[in-house]
This record gives sequence, structure tokens and C-alpha cells, in this order.
Amino acid sequence: MSISGNGSGPVIEYRNVFKAFDIPVLSGISLSVEDGEMVALFGPSGTGKSVLLKTTIALVTPDRGDVTVCGESVYFGGGDVIERIRRKVGYVFQYAALFDSLTVFENIEMGIPEDILKRMSAKEVAHRAWEALDLVNLEPQQVLSKLPAELSGGMKKRVGIARAIAGRPEVLLWDEPTTGLDPVNTAAIERLIKQLSDDLRVTSLLVTHDIEGGLEICDRVCMLEGGHLRFCGSPEEFRVSSDPVVRAFVDREAAAVALDTLEIS
Amino acid sequence: MSGQSTWASGPSGFANRFFAGVARAATHVGEHAGQLGLLVWHIGVSCVRLRVPRRDIMRQLYSIGIQSILIVLVAAGLIGIVTSQQGGYQMQSQLPLYVMGSIVVESVILEMGPVLTAIVMIGRIGARITAELGTMKVSEQIDALYSVGRDPVEILAAPRVLAMIISMPLLVSMANLVGITTGMISAQYTLGLGSETFFYGARLFWHSYDMFYSLMKALVFGAAIPLIAVHMGLRTTGGAEGVGRTTTHSVVFMTLTILVLDAMFPPLFLN
Repeated sequence: MSISGNGSGPVIEYRNVFKAFDIPVLSGISLSVEDGEMVALFGPSGTGKSVLLKTTIALVTPDRGDVTVCGESVYFGGGDVIERIRRKVGYVFQYAALFDSLTVFENIEMGIPEDILKRMSAKEVAHRAWEALDLVNLEPQQVLSKLPAELSGGMKKRVGIARAIAGRPEVLLWDEPTTGLDPVNTAAIERLIKQLSDDLRVTSLLVTHDIEGGLEICDRVCMLEGGHLRFCGSPEEFRVSSDPVVRAFVDREAAAVALDTLEIS
Repeated sequence: MSGQSTWASGPSGFANRFFAGVARAATHVGEHAGQLGLLVWHIGVSCVRLRVPRRDIMRQLYSIGIQSILIVLVAAGLIGIVTSQQGGYQMQSQLPLYVMGSIVVESVILEMGPVLTAIVMIGRIGARITAELGTMKVSEQIDALYSVGRDPVEILAAPRVLAMIISMPLLVSMANLVGITTGMISAQYTLGLGSETFFYGARLFWHSYDMFYSLMKALVFGAAIPLIAVHMGLRTTGGAEGVGRTTTHSVVFMTLTILVLDAMFPPLFLN
């Protein structure tokens, strides 16, 4: 079963994706993300949300199935296609994954595709880095020359986002961008995600455990559980769903009940 | 099911376990060999296509080559002294003293210089490369490189391997020179062997090929150390503990490889 949105055509399409490590993690996931759409992916820890996200740009290879991005097959297209797809996709890592030995400026510079970077003057690169930092509400003058170790957790996440958007991607993949942040920073990052998606008109897939935040900023939400997509629909549908596993994610009381009665993998 | 021999007990159980262990080890060795082969190929292709950033090679040359000079020379100096002292102790009253010149020069150039420089470099550089890349792997920095369309082999592996291949012959040459000099000075003070007599002995058994042999060892060791270090680093899994474990395995792997390669050199190139 393929679950798709209502836009003009899928930008990302997961086709029957299977992946197992020691145990099956993804058991035939089919999901489409339409152009300009923002989809949240919820689910218990360890159910393969990040794995699914990583299959989008071939950081993890599925055992079976395929993923297409902008109509091109990630796994049947060859190395050039993967390279092309990675240029179109910005990936925000859970813990930012900034390059330790590089300054903030050099980190953001790395986000610009190599061939474009070669054609840009130093001034243009600096402008692009400045612009990216501005978009994530960081003061460029204060952080450009700093090393990641000199930044706070929230700042690192923002620099990670700046790196992901520096290449002006068509698609943004967010892997738990608010994990480990305090509520104020979480709200700020969520607002930023929404603002970037609107301003840059990118297609976004957001993996998060912050259900309220995800429901607030996303057009559609999906729930991954036990290797399958358990739910896919609008935030409103998610809120009123009678599925006990979905309910467990919507309110705390249901979560407590689920803890005693359900086996959430 | 009592009385029945299970897989895990009895003589057949032992044999099963033994062969399963051998099969596992063989698979493991094959896996390492295959991945190392691919890494060598990948680095070779990157070099031929001029995809290795020159700035990174220069950075690595500084940190691998220049910054290792002091420790390599200290080790080489001590090796020269020890070789001279022990040689003197063993040869005293048995052979003419000028033979010491040959013993020190040949020991340092053929064996001590390249091997001990390699051992020092394993500790200083090999372990560092594995820990560095391992940390990058577990903190998703390697994935981040792929995600921005960069190839970690071109950016991280190739500069380190090239810098080490360039640095090692130079470091070994310096180590040889310092080892011989300290050996000579030590012989002068402890055995009363003058420098002229020392060099007379050294010239008696000298072959120019020995220097080539020493540099060839340096080149091979210089390639083996970073290749293993990078390979192990990129295989790291399991957080901080995984980095520690992989670094330990890497150091053992590099040390054994250097000793095995060293043992292969005389039959291949001296006889």
C-alpha cells in the first residue's frame, strides 16, 4: 500500500523498503512525500525512522525496495544519480554532525556542492555562509570563525541546519532536530523549520519525538511502528485517531495505559 | 534428550566449535582483505583523478611528518646508543673493535631505523588516525560528508595515506642518520672507538643497496600503517567504547602487519 499526499507529484517516494540489521527494522515501507509538503514521521525509539531517512540519500542501503527522489531511483540509478540526489537534498543530523576540525564557516562551505563551490568567488561563498547563518538566526560575525566545540548545543543544531541549507536544496530531511534541547530552543528550532520550509519552499520530511511540535508545523504525519506505517494522515486525523498506539503518542494518559496493555515495539 | 551429544559438548562439539571458529576467522580475514583492497583501489583512483585536496595533503604532511620528527629522532638516537652498547658488550675481546662500525650501521639501516620508526608512527599517527576517523564515524560526521556530496576517502583517507608515504622515507632517513651518529658517539665514549675506525668498519661491509632496502621498507610501512588505520577507523561502530576498542585492534593489527612485512623483506629482497 502506498500512502501519498495530495500535491502535484511525489518528490520522495519510498517503494516497499525493507531493511533488517539483526532484526527486521523496516518491513515494506511505502510512502510518498509531495512537492512542497512537510511530513512528520513519528514512532517509538528504534523503529527505523532514522534508517528510513538515511535510505533517501543512500547512507543506508535497503535490503529490498527502492527510493526515488525527484523521479530518480536512488538504488538503481548508479553513482552519478546518487551524487545528483545528494546535491538536491539537505540532511540535518540528530546531533548536528559538524566537522570538529573545521570552523563554522568551513562547515557551511562544505554544504555547498563542490562544483558550484569551485565556480564561486570567496566573496560569494562568504555571502552564502552569512545568508545561511542569518536564516537560522545566528549572528554570523560571532560564530563564523568558531570551532564546533566552542558552540552550545542549540547553536550547533542551527549551524547544522545552516550547512544543510547552504547548498539551496529542494528537499530537507530532518533527523530529530530538537532532541536534547530545552523547551525554548525546541520551540525556536521548530519555528525555524516551519519558516525555512515556507521561505525556501522545500519539501521536508521530519523525524521527531516532539509530537506537539510535529503536529503543529507539518502538513501530514505518519507513524512508524513495528517496521510498518501504522498511521498516515493529517494532524487533525492523528489527534482524533482511535488507534491505541497513536493515542499513546497523543496524550500521556493513553501512553500510561499503553505501557501496561500494549506491546509497542 | 539426556545422553545425546549436543553441538556444544563432547569431541564432535569441540570439532564443530573449532571449525566454526576457523571459518569465522577466515571470513573475518577475507572481509578485511577485501575492504583494504577496495580502499587501496579507491585511493588510487582518487589520486589519478587528482581529486585529493592539496591543502589537506599539506596539513597532513605537517602533522604526520614535521610534528613526528622529534619523537622519531629521540627514538633513533636511543636505538643507536643501545645497539652500540650491546654490540660492544658481545664483541669485546672476540672481534676487532672496528666491526662495531658495521654492526651499528647495518643494524640501524637494515632493521632498527625503519622498524622502530614504524612502531613509533603506529603509536603517534596510526592510533590517532583510527581514533579520529572512528569518532567521526560514530558521530555521523562521515555520513555528513556523504550527505554533502563529499567522498571521505578523497578528503580524509587519501591525504593521510599520501602524507605518510611521503613522510616515512624522510623520517627513516633522518632516523638512520641520527641512530648511526649516536651509535658512533656512544662507541667512542664507552669502547674508546674513534670515528675513523668506526667508519672504516662500516665501509668494510657497506652495500649501497642497503640504503635502498631501508627506504623501500620505509615506503611499504608508510603505506601499510595509514591504510590499516583508515580502514579500521571507517569500520568503527558503537560509540566511545567502540572507538577505544577499534583503536586497540588497529594498533595490534598495524604492529603485527609491520612485523610480518619486516619478516618478508629479507627473503624477498636480501637473498
